[in-house]
Amino acid sequence: MYIFQNALQNLLRNRGRNLMMGAIIFVIIVSVVTALMINNTANGVINDYKERFGSEVSFVPNQKKWMEEAVANSTDGYVRLDLPKIKPELLLALGESEYLKDTVYAAETKANSKALRAIDANRGGGGGSVMAEMGPNGLREAQPMQSSGGQYYHKLTNQYADFDEGLRALTEGSRYPENDNECIMSEELLKNSGLAIGDTLKLTSALEKTDAVQGEATSKDISWEMTIVGTYTDFTTEYSENLLQNAYNNRRNEILTTFEAISNKMQDGMNGINLDARFTLTNPEVLEDFIEEVREKGLSKVFDIAADTETYNRIIGPVEGLKSITFTFVIVVIVLGAIILALLASIAIRERKYEIGVLRAMGMKKMKVVLGLWFETLAITIACLIFGLGIGPLIAQPVTNAMLENQIATAQQSQQKASIPSSKEPALLGTPQRDTVKALSELDVSLDIETILEIIVIALVLSSFAGIVATCKITKYEPIKILMERN
Amino acid sequence: MSTMASILALNKVSYRYEGAKSAVLKGIDASFEAGQVYTIIGKSGAGKSTLLSLISGLGVATGGEILCGETNLKQIDRDNYRARSIGVVFQGYNLLTNATAVQNIVLSMNISKSPEKDKKSYAYALLKRVGIDQETADRKVLKLSGGEQQRVGIARALSHNPGILIADEPTGNLDKETEADILRIFKRLAHKEGKCVIIVTHSKNVSSIADVVYRITSGLMNIA
Repeated sequence: MYIFQNALQNLLRNRGRNLMMGAIIFVIIVSVVTALMINNTANGVINDYKERFGSEVSFVPNQKKWMEEAVANSTDGYVRLDLPKIKPELLLALGESEYLKDTVYAAETKANSKALRAIDANRGGGGGSVMAEMGPNGLREAQPMQSSGGQYYHKLTNQYADFDEGLRALTEGSRYPENDNECIMSEELLKNSGLAIGDTLKLTSALEKTDAVQGEATSKDISWEMTIVGTYTDFTTEYSENLLQNAYNNRRNEILTTFEAISNKMQDGMNGINLDARFTLTNPEVLEDFIEEVREKGLSKVFDIAADTETYNRIIGPVEGLKSITFTFVIVVIVLGAIILALLASIAIRERKYEIGVLRAMGMKKMKVVLGLWFETLAITIACLIFGLGIGPLIAQPVTNAMLENQIATAQQSQQKASIPSSKEPALLGTPQRDTVKALSELDVSLDIETILEIIVIALVLSSFAGIVATCKITKYEPIKILMERN
Repeated sequence: MSTMASILALNKVSYRYEGAKSAVLKGIDASFEAGQVYTIIGKSGAGKSTLLSLISGLGVATGGEILCGETNLKQIDRDNYRARSIGVVFQGYNLLTNATAVQNIVLSMNISKSPEKDKKSYAYALLKRVGIDQETADRKVLKLSGGEQQRVGIARALSHNPGILIADEPTGNLDKETEADILRIFKRLAHKEGKCVIIVTHSKNVSSIADVVYRITSGLMNIA
């Protein structure tokens, strides 16, 4: 106990030296606090991203393989370029892989109903399927793309991402569809159609197949009997910028149901229903195993299996850069700090050689002398920790903003320089959420308990390191030599 | 010589500095008793201070043995020995200059694990015994005169009530009047309080208060 008291008294007795030591320790601690806060926050954001998106895979049609297969399958010299599709049974089977922790299915088709009066019906419908044809010498010029017609006014889909993002909200008394014969729609559509929750309606659509070369079209009507189990308030933009403004593309006219309600209507070789799935792996390392499994289950070679590295790099790249910089900074500060503290401790011991000699002559044991010196450094460190933990967070945010801005600018420049077009085709259904995730432009750094503990450990290790240096020095000094030198 | 049992005994004590060709002390025999003042005299470089450092446990004899009571110094914890069994008064005082006089005494008491409950009051009383008042006791050592510092040094050496008090040229830096005061204190400690006081000195004045005077010559010590 007296060692501690004496150490505290020494702090006051040697104010000048201790203030200098404190100032250096303070700078080290503030630097570590700032860097660790940024590093840990960036790490949290990256881990969170990896948790949500980092291990996400999708099946993307490879244009080259698609064409090669179409050419190989041609028997009459004409190449038929039907959009490659994954059968719903296969899609569902793939979703049962043990390598997946989550699968989100998306299904979409066009539909009409006599019971519904679409918003902006006067602008006409849409929703014709897109086809292309290619002759032996390339794309046929006369009919490069055509709509197979069909004036549809509604999309029937199972995409509920807008509800998660707060762009749609169920109204009172509503619920999500649970069965294949249930649906919900926007309040505007329900009101415009003069319907009420609980009413039933018949939705109709058609599956079709047109031989691009022969021009023979086959069609099959499909329909759904559905009960309206709810409505929602819709805050989404009515029309996307790049789509025609007709009733079919108006988001108020969408009808939401279950995945099975739509996928059950699919028929082999027929177009008209689009399916997609977003698979999330249990962890990124099992990607190769998952690829092997889906190939075994029969996924066509036309589909590439892609992890979402592009989005990852776009969104998280600058933060990773920031994390890397701050990590390096922490290491540099710790190493430099350790060296500076060791030098300071060494100088302090040399300066206090006489004092140590006196204490040893009085019978104080070496370890107690070391303990006293360590207490002094520790007390200074604790004081600096308190101030550092208070001031560090004030500095961390502006430093983060400046560094992140710099990282984003660098990332954008390198993207522009690279300007390599993506080999990835858009997903069939433009699977939700991913494209709506914006690149991180700001990072709210915070001082969490984990960071505080790390800083405390670093500070204690550094001050203990100084203590070890002191110990090594002191063991070299015999009190009689010190006192005789002085006398 | 007294017939009392010796409190400290030297048997064939020798010492050779590292790298030196010959030993500075070459088999010293001596015996010290409680209640006596001893002085050790000799020319500069004769080995007086070396012997004192061996007796005070600051160094270890390269030959022979030093017995404190019946315990050989080589076999005990010399830190504890310095803290509890002996008190040393240095020529250069060797006090903690940034601390006050009373803090020096209290720290010494703490190191020796003194059982005194109110160490500070005890320290003031001790300082008063050697002529330091409370106001002076509360001043930093650095601001005290040489005589005052030496008195503090004596008080510190007595703080754990040791049986043996060793002093190395205790009046070397002091004027005659202060020297006389300090010597009176040593005499009182030996003759009235029963301490064994061993003083290394050049001064005939100091030797004049001794009950026994040893002289070191050519590495050997004899009664002068």
